[in-house]
Amino acid sequence: MTLLLAIALPVALGALLPVFRLKTGNRNLYLMLATLLTSALCAYAIAVDIPALRLISLNNKLTITLRLDEQGKIFCALVAFLWPFAMLYAFNYMKDEHKQTSFFSFFLMSYGVTLGIAMSANLLTLYVFYEVLTLTTLPLVMHGGSQKSIRAGLKYLYYSLGGSAFAFIGLAYLVYFGGQTTFVPGGLFKGISLMHTQQLRLGYLLCFLGFSVKASVFPLHGWLPTAAVAPTPVTALLHAVAVVKSGVFAIIRVTYYSFGASVLAGSYAQYIPLALTTFTIVFGCTMALKEKHLKRRLAYSTVSNLSYILFGAMLLSAQGLTAGLMHLIFHALMKIVLFLAVGVYNKRANAYYVDQVRGLGTTLPLLGVVFTLSSLAMTGIPPLIGFISKWALAEAALLIGGPLPLMGVVALLISALLTGIYLMVPAVTMYTRPSQGNQLTPVEAGFKVTLATLSLVVLALSAYSIPLIDYLARTAAQAM
Amino acid sequence: MEGLLLLVAILLPAVGSLMVVFLPWLNERREDRCFFVGAVMVLEFLVVLLIALDSERTLILFEMTKQLPIALRSDGTSRVFSALMSLMWTISGFYSFSYMKHEQNEKTYYAFYLMTLASLMALTLSGTMVTMYLFFEMMTFISMPMVLHNRSKEAVAAGIKYLIYSVAGATMGLLGIFMLTPNIASPYFVEGGSLMTGSLTIPHAAFQIILFITLVGFATKAGMFPMHGWLPTAHPVAPSPASAVLSGVITKAGVLAIFRMIFYVIGPDYLRGTWVQWALLGCATLTVFMGSMLALREKHIKKRLAYSSVSQVSYVLCGVFLLDTMALDGALLQMVFHALTKDALFLCAGAIIVKTGITRVDEMHNLGKNMPWTMWMFTICAISLVGIPPLGGFIAKWYIAEGALMAGTPVYSWLVPIVLLVSAMLTAGYLLPPSVSAFFGGMAHGEVASAYREKADPSAMMLVPIFILTLAILVLGIAPGFMIETFTKLANSLL
Repeated sequence: MTLLLAIALPVALGALLPVFRLKTGNRNLYLMLATLLTSALCAYAIAVDIPALRLISLNNKLTITLRLDEQGKIFCALVAFLWPFAMLYAFNYMKDEHKQTSFFSFFLMSYGVTLGIAMSANLLTLYVFYEVLTLTTLPLVMHGGSQKSIRAGLKYLYYSLGGSAFAFIGLAYLVYFGGQTTFVPGGLFKGISLMHTQQLRLGYLLCFLGFSVKASVFPLHGWLPTAAVAPTPVTALLHAVAVVKSGVFAIIRVTYYSFGASVLAGSYAQYIPLALTTFTIVFGCTMALKEKHLKRRLAYSTVSNLSYILFGAMLLSAQGLTAGLMHLIFHALMKIVLFLAVGVYNKRANAYYVDQVRGLGTTLPLLGVVFTLSSLAMTGIPPLIGFISKWALAEAALLIGGPLPLMGVVALLISALLTGIYLMVPAVTMYTRPSQGNQLTPVEAGFKVTLATLSLVVLALSAYSIPLIDYLARTAAQAM
Repeated sequence: MEGLLLLVAILLPAVGSLMVVFLPWLNERREDRCFFVGAVMVLEFLVVLLIALDSERTLILFEMTKQLPIALRSDGTSRVFSALMSLMWTISGFYSFSYMKHEQNEKTYYAFYLMTLASLMALTLSGTMVTMYLFFEMMTFISMPMVLHNRSKEAVAAGIKYLIYSVAGATMGLLGIFMLTPNIASPYFVEGGSLMTGSLTIPHAAFQIILFITLVGFATKAGMFPMHGWLPTAHPVAPSPASAVLSGVITKAGVLAIFRMIFYVIGPDYLRGTWVQWALLGCATLTVFMGSMLALREKHIKKRLAYSSVSQVSYVLCGVFLLDTMALDGALLQMVFHALTKDALFLCAGAIIVKTGITRVDEMHNLGKNMPWTMWMFTICAISLVGIPPLGGFIAKWYIAEGALMAGTPVYSWLVPIVLLVSAMLTAGYLLPPSVSAFFGGMAHGEVASAYREKADPSAMMLVPIFILTLAILVLGIAPGFMIETFTKLANSLL
């Protein structure tokens, strides 16, 4: 029941928010309590092993079932940890925006739906939550209400729906050949002599392409940079963590828990994704370098970094998956800090473009330090976390050997260089003399608390991440 | 904790730097801060000397993951580099106390000056490749504010160029670190290298290409062709004492990284006689020549000195890449003398700029009469850099040339000495004319001279550091026995 409660609570409370017509202070309290309660439920579900909960049986093959396994716990913990921070940030960020009730209502509902993805016990359940996530996050993208926002929202919708259609075909293949959709470590076909390998591989590839819309793999990445028009809490949490990593998580699920690494290894169903992700790694960075708008630059950086994770996962080895999962967590932390910092620059200093951040390092010292720190981590400067996961990725790729993994290592290095440039240039620019006086409005404590805490987490993990990595390695070994 | 001293050597300047930033009472009076910074630097030098006299130590700081220890280690190489760097840093630091009166943001300057020292010491004391990479990158980022110091458009552009080149170089280095890690027997630095040549995970041909890329990447900091572009842009825009250490000391960090990679990871035997060695020697020799030519063409005094660094540091690299005891000996000598000389030259240039506002070499007529001390010391250092005996520069170049002849490397055994000779002539061509016109400028240029802001040597605070450096060049040039002994011992243990 805990699982259902963790999903239903935020969805229900989010849906009820417009009914209550609360004043701002009370509304914030209500939202914060709902978020914290949900996170507490998640923490409980992670700590205690909870049996699977079958909600609906469509027929004896297809069920909607909730279960939190080792893999799901990783994603669940990440989301449950970050959502309260994003919520706190959003209170301050949205203070003077219009339509706040609808924003917060959907923001809270998305939390529940994202947890649903983490807690799905089979591909059908995941697929349902995945579709619902598209719908609950759509109003958040379109929040601004301008022509541009609407267009971004529609683009997001079309891309996502198109992707789901592909994923659905993959799902059908799986049901037809596998007889069920339950997630089993190692896949449904582990240890079974296969008759329909070719069809399965094709089905997998369709699934990969379908889910890679949300994971924004080239050429399906187009919606993500456009969606940067959304309010910053949305870009920071949903477009750097929850939504995009749902895509990544779904691909990991499909790869390791449905089709299974043994079916795919050494075939085009592995090589095409590897080639696409390798290309996306470099492509995303190059586009980020070209982009002068800070949020879009970060969005392109996300495009590149998501492919790091998928590249690791598509190596189809325990080391590769471990490295991918490491980057899944580490990237989430680093990128959310960067986005949140840029959000404050947008709101309080009116700085949207790279050359507008001049002098902000001295006027907003904490933000400057935080931004620089996260930029260094993203670039992969040891001993910060970005280096640890990149190192693990390169190590895993070299262990596999062969031309594609080696290309991947080169792509990682090129991308590290480009990251160093596209993030360190704004970081340096912040410390240059401003061209004219910045009109600064005071920065609320809520912003500072969020950013400082998350940065401390980045630092703490940089110093000591061995237990976490061990846990990820165990999970990855199970999934083989 | 037997290696605690190593940690002290890193933490002392780092904590000092933080104190400068965060303790307001240290910044109330200029004198207090200068005294504090000076005390930290002197203490640091003493700590480094203690480490140099102590036996070899290793200290594992922490493990990033199980295969990635971050460890410190003091050995022959780290002693030589840390002692040299810390000494240079202290001398230029004392010079800054007087020089920086003319600049803004002194607090930030000293904070980053000390922090860069900390990262440099950490770099010299690194015990593994990843530790070295860590501090190599850190040094880049921490030293950048010195380039950015006056925050003008030009400085920012230079800073970003510095950043891009450095990060590119470090990334190339990282490629090698990635590829080497599965192929070495120990993550720690081992004299003579620990590459398992018998069982490489990738073919030798590909491996050699990667090694070449790696070494060129690390040579970025040393300003070797084709990664030299940033150096003449970035060094001159910094305040003069910072240019002095950037050119005289930080370039040696690149040499150190190459040293570590070749002699402690890859092993000289694997490289000897391969195309990698020829190609690297080719790059270094070309840089020696090209740097001198470009310096000859440049009129801005600090830029000319920066181009000269491009050339002179590649002498060191030439000596290293020859993989010969004698040449390596010469390389170490050249490193010490170039550090001393270039430091002194930049400090002289700083004194000239601050006192007279002159920035171009063709405006220096008659300066010898107005600033006799500065110009005399400038001239002595210039002569040493050209390589005229008995000054220090000569002995270093002699060893490298002799090493090249003895190394038995085809083509390079005669090409290197010839290029060294040509470059020596070019060095004379770009460093001596300013001295000549300063002393024998003639009265025709009197009106130019009258436009000088002040016509006197700078204060003793600025003169004494230059004087110490010049004296060291003289004394060590005449009596280099101790240094040669130390370096020969080190070179023999590595080759």
